[in-house]
Amino acid sequence: MRLRFKHIAIAGLLAVATASCMKWDYGNEEDFDTRASGLFIINEGNFQYGNASLSFYDPATGTVENNIFYRANGMKLGDVAQSMTIRDNKAWIVVNHSHVVFAINPDTYKEVGRIENLTSPRYIHFISDTKAYITQLWDNRIFIVDPSRYEITGYIQVPDMDMENGSTEQMVQFGRYVFVTCCSYQNRVLKIDTQTDRIVAELTVGLQPNSIVLDHNNKLWVLCDGGYEGSPQGFEAPTLHRIDAETFTEERRFSFKKGSNPAELNIDGSGLNIYWINNDIWKMAVNSDRLPVKPLIRNRSTIFYGLTVNPVNDEVYVADAIDYQQQGVIYRYTADGEQADSFYAGIIPGAFCWK
Amino acid sequence: MMIRRLMTYIAVLLFSVTVSKAEAATPSRYLNEVTVTARRPMKDIGVTKTVFDSTMLKENVANSMADVLAYNSSIFVKSYGRATLSTVAFRGTSPSHTQVTWNGMKINSPMLGMTDFSTIPSYFVDDASLLHGSSSLNEAGGGLGGLVKLATIPDMADGFNARYIQGIGSFKTFDEFLRLTYGSERWHLSTRVAYSSSPNDYKYVNHDKKLNIYDDNHNIIGQYYPTERNRSGAYKDLNILQEVYFSPSSREQLSLSAWYTHSNRELPLLTTDYGDEKEFENRQRENTFRGVISWRHTRSKWSSTINGGYIHTWMAYDYRRDVGNGELASMTRSRSLVNTVYGQANADFSPSRKWFFTAGLSAHQHFVRSIDKNIITTDGDNALLGYDKARIELSGSASAKWQPNERFGVSVLFLEDMYGTRWSPVIPALFVDGIITRTGNISFRASVSRNHKFPSLNDLYFLPGGNPNLRSEDGVNYDIGLSFDTGSGGAWGLSGGVTWFDSYINNWIIWLPTTKGFFSPRNIRQVHAYGVEVKANLTAQLWKGWLFDLNASYSHTPSINRGDPMSPADRSVGKQLPYVPLNSASFTGRLSWRGWSFLYKWCWYSRRYTMSSNDVAISGYLPDYFMNNISLEKGLSLRPLDLSLKFAVNNLFDEDYLSVLAHPMPGINFEFFIGITPKFHHKKTSELNY
Repeated sequence: MRLRFKHIAIAGLLAVATASCMKWDYGNEEDFDTRASGLFIINEGNFQYGNASLSFYDPATGTVENNIFYRANGMKLGDVAQSMTIRDNKAWIVVNHSHVVFAINPDTYKEVGRIENLTSPRYIHFISDTKAYITQLWDNRIFIVDPSRYEITGYIQVPDMDMENGSTEQMVQFGRYVFVTCCSYQNRVLKIDTQTDRIVAELTVGLQPNSIVLDHNNKLWVLCDGGYEGSPQGFEAPTLHRIDAETFTEERRFSFKKGSNPAELNIDGSGLNIYWINNDIWKMAVNSDRLPVKPLIRNRSTIFYGLTVNPVNDEVYVADAIDYQQQGVIYRYTADGEQADSFYAGIIPGAFCWK
Repeated sequence: MMIRRLMTYIAVLLFSVTVSKAEAATPSRYLNEVTVTARRPMKDIGVTKTVFDSTMLKENVANSMADVLAYNSSIFVKSYGRATLSTVAFRGTSPSHTQVTWNGMKINSPMLGMTDFSTIPSYFVDDASLLHGSSSLNEAGGGLGGLVKLATIPDMADGFNARYIQGIGSFKTFDEFLRLTYGSERWHLSTRVAYSSSPNDYKYVNHDKKLNIYDDNHNIIGQYYPTERNRSGAYKDLNILQEVYFSPSSREQLSLSAWYTHSNRELPLLTTDYGDEKEFENRQRENTFRGVISWRHTRSKWSSTINGGYIHTWMAYDYRRDVGNGELASMTRSRSLVNTVYGQANADFSPSRKWFFTAGLSAHQHFVRSIDKNIITTDGDNALLGYDKARIELSGSASAKWQPNERFGVSVLFLEDMYGTRWSPVIPALFVDGIITRTGNISFRASVSRNHKFPSLNDLYFLPGGNPNLRSEDGVNYDIGLSFDTGSGGAWGLSGGVTWFDSYINNWIIWLPTTKGFFSPRNIRQVHAYGVEVKANLTAQLWKGWLFDLNASYSHTPSINRGDPMSPADRSVGKQLPYVPLNSASFTGRLSWRGWSFLYKWCWYSRRYTMSSNDVAISGYLPDYFMNNISLEKGLSLRPLDLSLKFAVNNLFDEDYLSVLAHPMPGINFEFFIGITPKFHHKKTSELNY
């Protein structure tokens, strides 16, 4: 018996001693050359998991390629991809919790450069070939960068804001001025003179302005979510503001039901209609005097998370993050709100960029 | 590669089929053969329990309880690395479904509902056991997966004793441990101090990012995976434990345990972080005091225990960055303060050899103040974002246990919890066990119970996102198991057991993002968790003076989402929950000879999906990993002192592995320990138990 146990023991030890070696599939780089126009989907991924990703959808063929940043570059996109902007054949992806903005070739998806060491970047807006602004969360500065050299060149200090409640969000430009929403625990829109990089005016709007667009009539539209119950900053009915970009004065204010969650303000290619998510998908003409009473697209027993409108044909794309732990699905609707297609993207598809 | 894996599976299978020892401490030293006659303890009728002996708990001064559980049981330990958050989960449930008690007092964070086992040094625990599934109700409600029971016990050595251990390891890691004890007939005193520190800046090849090589025009002309150091991973942990035991008679004991923890830890950067570590600070600090005073009174037919306790925890989380002037500006400054007052009374009554009754009543009163952010309001005022809440948690239980003969026992338990103003339904549990045959001491046990877990205070009140309308999670649990225990005198012993479990959990709480940009908890899932747990222990005297001790465990834990689809596109229904391994196993083997001791530790977790849809995609899963640690120890007995020298190698095969996405783990690393035990001139009644 003693001999038997000895053999078992030795065999067991030998077996476990050799039990090692995990297999990692570090990606081989793929070559892409997608010259077609289409839609980039920026998938946030889960906070702290570094699993953000990038997808590309070709509406003409109805095909989608997922994880294209990883497949093209052999590295991960990062933690919480926030937004993307294309300028002069470079696509700039803002990766919030990786403190980085990647520039890629929009056809090959290969990296061409990166801007590092940002605080918590949200959006990038280009002033010229050598100047862009990057808004930040948890920072009371808007970063000025030189995209040609991928360098931080300066800062725009935001008044009455400290690092702890710092939040600058979306930007649009009218003439030489850039208008910036201050979202988290804020209620302001800033006006920046791009020639001096100084804030020259600010306008008080509703609580937490999360998105901004500029319409055909040079009117700014700002959507505010109203905060939340229990917030020390307050809790109010969400609002939609129409602001004259020339005079920077509010012209109209529309109120939503208190407790509702309007977000993702978008505008079509003509600048004549605005769209947003408020449980359903809503559409409103920019010359309308009241909020619509009937949604364009009704909720599908889920939570719509992202929204974009094709600037060419007004087709509407809506992201459903499902349970935020699996590939989200994108629904494509005609301009009339009829579903035309659907496809799976990455985890938490939160933003879009048209190529 | 394939051969190695095959051999691994054969090894697992080999020990699985023999295995299990659902109870029982494993003796590490061999005594002369004696005949012992004892009844099975009625308190443990039908209970599925794993007990950790002192060789497991005191194996390495650098170990936390997370390490002990990872290598000596098959419950899932999710770790972000040494001195970072480490949680444990039973049977495919979540970490908040694991209740943890220390000397009878629940130490789960009332804010988070879970416990960070990396903050519990294993050298501060003398008695540890796992109560699986329904068995946890014998201690407390709310453990939908199970309960980890931790306790200190008096050292029985007489007179003054001392021991000092120092560990020096890779990455400038230092571990210090000192214990002083004094024992007399009535008094036993113990003071333990442990201090650990390290920059924890181990190297690893970062395969999640590439560094660019540029030409003069800033064009990328090359890329490579960088070899980086773990950034922002430094820690300094201090623990002090004072115990006083007073026994005025053999039937009474008064005990006091006071444990202070000071922890200062950086939170490591992700593999995908492109920030400059010198410009960011990501730090968590904690001061915690836990104290329990206990009075135990024992008579021939009954015993009673009265406990009182207090927990104070101050936690700070700071996220700061250099804004260019060399000074760090605060971006996030979270502070939380938790005060808990605890009281408990238990009584056991055994009117005859066939009957055993227990009753208990406990109260935990929590006072929690959590401040997450300092904001400037639209009026220009400063305002704090957080909550300030108090909650009473009452629990009452009663059980009757009946053992009509030596071979059969049955136990019925009823428990009810009250949190705040909300009452749980009465929670019933039924336990049965019996001896099938004396040959091999083959016995069976079974249990069935309901269970109920209230939301944590963060679930309910955290700002932003807390959901006061959350329902409690509740479940039904079934267990059935077999165990055996056989051997041949002092030559060898083999024990083991297998348990099948089946549980259904409703209203599972998960935190999901909202369109406002923050997370909020919701009752989403129905989960069916089931599977098999297998354990084994083998001890043998291979040759004269050669002692062999082997422990193995294996779990198969499908944990399946059975809820309704969240949308028509939902592909998570019917899939394994994220971060729950389907299979896990652990193994430790110790070979001892004349003061030499060689220890081999091994654990394995199968693939863990990171997506609820179980996609085998990039970042969709973590590959299975095997971890191998070894140590060699030599004890020397010199005239003025006993000396022990130990050399440990962790991650023996330098595995490149992750436990959590984007959090790198250290490769092969080493630590050398020296232990000094002065010999004072007095007669010892037993060896000091470290």
